[in-house]
Amino acid sequence: MILALVTLLPIVGALLLLLVPREEVGLHRGLGFLFALATFVVSLLLVPGLKPAEWNALVDWVWVAPLGIHFKLGVDGISLFLVLLTTFLMPIVMLSAHQAIARKVREFYVALLVLETGMIGAFVAIDLFVFYVFWEVMLIPMYFLIGIWGGDRRLYASIKFVLYTLVGSLAMVVAILYLYVRHHEATGLWTFDYDALQKLVLSSREQLACFLAFALAFCIKVPLFPLHTWLPDAHVEAPTAGSVILAGVLLKFGTYGLLRFAIPMFPQAVVQCGPYITWLALIGIVYGSLVAWAQTDVKKLIAYSSVAHLGFVVLGLMAWNGRGVDGAMVQMLAHGISTGGLFLAIGVLYERRHTRRMEEFGGIAQVMPRFFAVFAIVMLASVGLPGLSGFVGEFLILLGSFDAWRTAKGHELFFGTGSHPKLIAAIAATGVILSAVYLLTMFQKVMLGPNANPKNRHLPDLSARELAVFAPIVVMAFWLGIYPATFLDRIDPAVAHVIGQFHEKATDRPELGPTPRLLGTLSKAAAAAATAKPGGGG
Amino acid sequence: MNALGFDTAQLGLAAPLCIVSIGGLVLLMLEAFSRERGPRTHLAALTLVVLGLAALAFVRSWSAPPQAIFHSMLVVDRFSTFIGLLILVGAGLAVGLAGGFMREQRFEFGEFYALVLLATSGMLTLVQAADLVSLFIGLETMSLAVYVLTGSWRRNAKSSEAAMKYFLVGAFASALLIYGIALVYGVGGSTNLAAIGALETPEISDPVFLIGALFIFIALAFKIAAVPFHMWAPDAYEGAPTPVTAFMAATVKAAGFGALLRLVATAFARPELTLGSNGWVPLVSILAIATMTLGNVAALRQESVKRLLAYSSIAHAGYLLVGVAALGLIGPEARGPILYYLAAYTLTTVGSFGIVAWYGTHGDERHSLDDWAGLATAHPAGALAMTLLLLSLGGIPPTAGFFGKFYLFKVALGSPALLPLILVAVANSLISVFYYLRVVTAMYFREELRPVTVVRSTGMTVTLWIATFGTLALGLFPGWLVDLATQASLFVK
Repeated sequence: MILALVTLLPIVGALLLLLVPREEVGLHRGLGFLFALATFVVSLLLVPGLKPAEWNALVDWVWVAPLGIHFKLGVDGISLFLVLLTTFLMPIVMLSAHQAIARKVREFYVALLVLETGMIGAFVAIDLFVFYVFWEVMLIPMYFLIGIWGGDRRLYASIKFVLYTLVGSLAMVVAILYLYVRHHEATGLWTFDYDALQKLVLSSREQLACFLAFALAFCIKVPLFPLHTWLPDAHVEAPTAGSVILAGVLLKFGTYGLLRFAIPMFPQAVVQCGPYITWLALIGIVYGSLVAWAQTDVKKLIAYSSVAHLGFVVLGLMAWNGRGVDGAMVQMLAHGISTGGLFLAIGVLYERRHTRRMEEFGGIAQVMPRFFAVFAIVMLASVGLPGLSGFVGEFLILLGSFDAWRTAKGHELFFGTGSHPKLIAAIAATGVILSAVYLLTMFQKVMLGPNANPKNRHLPDLSARELAVFAPIVVMAFWLGIYPATFLDRIDPAVAHVIGQFHEKATDRPELGPTPRLLGTLSKAAAAAATAKPGGGG
Repeated sequence: MNALGFDTAQLGLAAPLCIVSIGGLVLLMLEAFSRERGPRTHLAALTLVVLGLAALAFVRSWSAPPQAIFHSMLVVDRFSTFIGLLILVGAGLAVGLAGGFMREQRFEFGEFYALVLLATSGMLTLVQAADLVSLFIGLETMSLAVYVLTGSWRRNAKSSEAAMKYFLVGAFASALLIYGIALVYGVGGSTNLAAIGALETPEISDPVFLIGALFIFIALAFKIAAVPFHMWAPDAYEGAPTPVTAFMAATVKAAGFGALLRLVATAFARPELTLGSNGWVPLVSILAIATMTLGNVAALRQESVKRLLAYSSIAHAGYLLVGVAALGLIGPEARGPILYYLAAYTLTTVGSFGIVAWYGTHGDERHSLDDWAGLATAHPAGALAMTLLLLSLGGIPPTAGFFGKFYLFKVALGSPALLPLILVAVANSLISVFYYLRVVTAMYFREELRPVTVVRSTGMTVTLWIATFGTLALGLFPGWLVDLATQASLFVK
């Protein structure tokens, strides 16, 4: 019940806001914030007594009886903190938008609240139909956030965002339907239940086709190089609130989806495709960092840094050992906190100066000392300074990758047979250095040096409201960096459980059940496409 | 038995058809002898009463066993009842839109309501037809009334042009139909659908019989506006007074599909009736692909929202044809999703055309995309409703249109041969989202170029809310309708 409440409370708030006349701007701001805050408080109730390796707070309502669709929600050690990240960022975002959003205030809060329901729902859905519905529910509010309150090229960016996302989602929905029909063929039961579909025995060709469909949806969301081109556009055009949510939460659906669905459900296909994904992640890390370095627009710089940071997460998943995946999870949270903080910081500058170009700034530290402190903390957290949030995740991921052979224990490695995990880890490590390079360069140009531009002489420092926005983020950046055990204690058992199940499923290859009648052209085409790709990884 | 040669109890089963036909005639007389030249609110109310009574009669006959009546001219079963109810709903919503629109645009066309009822009676005949003759009568009654409705805005040149085009193409389709019926009758010796379905090898492999069947099929393809028999549709849909467009886009298509589904299940159900190894499946598949793709691609470039929706409604016929193809390979269970899709489509189409009708004032219909800029600022509720309806048309959850597509694809996946067709349909959904979002983009992301004006009419507002909430409700709680559609799909006689 708690989980249903957490999921649906925001949308109830959205419906309520629709009933309030739109002139009541203050009421909309207050009510929106209140609902987001209430959702956060309720979501905290999920933490005590959580059993990380199983479904907690299970909700199972029959939704569409004739088709076997259940409104089934559950939370485990993996989804818990992603839900908390969502509910944590949402009130912050709402608070930060008080001045920036002056037009269509009601619509803004309605969009944010609908988005929140979509995000929470997609994290906790354990019925694939419900997952898909929530996944799509996220799409439209984000489209509005970019399109209504965005920058000059918002029309282009918003439609690009929708079309990119939709390409993946439509591929995924066909795969979901395929699993659903195959499960019925195998057992005579119509169900979208995650656990049931996961037990389905699929031929390697079917696995490959379905994995590619799921992975396409998730890799676009991550975004994995070369599917990332929507991200800089969306980030640059989106208002601060949109960017924070986009980077903080939405991107995590890509990596969460890989971890929850694509990898455990299609073990053989992952081993086959793993090398490609690994190398794309590596390219993403290096390429994203280099491109970030070249940016003059601060927001674009942070957008590209997301490509690099999420590349780390994918790498951690591909290492597929306890450390790597734990690291990926922590990195997801850390990225949500630090990049969210960075976007908020840019938002602060943008609200004051209506530009984000680095050369317009310089020496801001002299006029905004309080801002200097918080900006430095979130920036260093993003760099991965020990003691701050970014360090733990990156370190664990590198450790996991470095160690991949030793921990594989006879299982096939996603990196590819004959690959050199140490080399992979070494390439990835350049990303850590590069992130220090581009973030510190940016920070130096914006905050340090002489305050030469006369327009910057009298910028007001952070107001009390803005301090309230940053305070929780700074606290979390330290918490994750200094005492990650709070999180890892719950993440680790869940991750170990998922990996254990995976190896069980991958090694246990029972004689194929009834010959699959449903072997369509899709899987053939997919197999052909996969074999046609040049060269293996490593 | 009596002088008529049939049990009078059958009149009870034919009650919906009788109520609508008689109601139509009465309304026609009332209008002829009335001095009223202003708004015909009383006629609208009466029409809704007639439609409501017919719907009640349908609901009562739901539990009756399927049977042929009137010497096997008509059949009453859950399938025809389901589509019949859809048609009544579509007609009722269109009537709700019409009053306000006609008042605002200053063309009081009193015969509107009578013609809607007569067209409806034709549609009900069409979906209940158990004989090629009654099928033809139903189709003609429907078509003639709809031609007149299309041209009812006499002072509007586009309306007259639309009626002319629609009529000429429609007359051609009718000629094909009657010619096809003649050929089939010539070979098979019967016009009864069941009797034709029972024919054996020498007859059904006769090329004349095949040509006859093909002609009948093409005539129906004209009515459902399947590519390449769609060329009348964009002009007719765009030119007709918008409530009429809503009416015909929703109901004519539903009736056409009703007749088509019955034909392929009865008279022309034999797999030997071939154009390939799976009977008519390859033909329908090609038609489906052409219809979806052309409809969607053509809609991409439209600058008029009304014309965009016209092309989109062509595309939707294509998705429905995917269901018809599935019917050939999978069997009766594929009818459930088609029926559900038709229900979703009816509500969404009437709703979206309804908003087009609602937007604009006398002498200033707001059809171009530029005119839609900034609607969200002036009328948040209208823009929100339109957004929901468009998302439903595009198949985005949690709307009826999404569930319709989902259900359709689910059943179609039961046959591996249909996978390419499903992939084409999915790719088409993606294209369609692009142009639906163009409208949303205009409404929300752009500033208004001129002041937004809308028709003020309670009837319209209520109708639009019903359509919008219905679309959302069917998407959120589709279970009961899936149950009904499944029952309806298994009771075809």
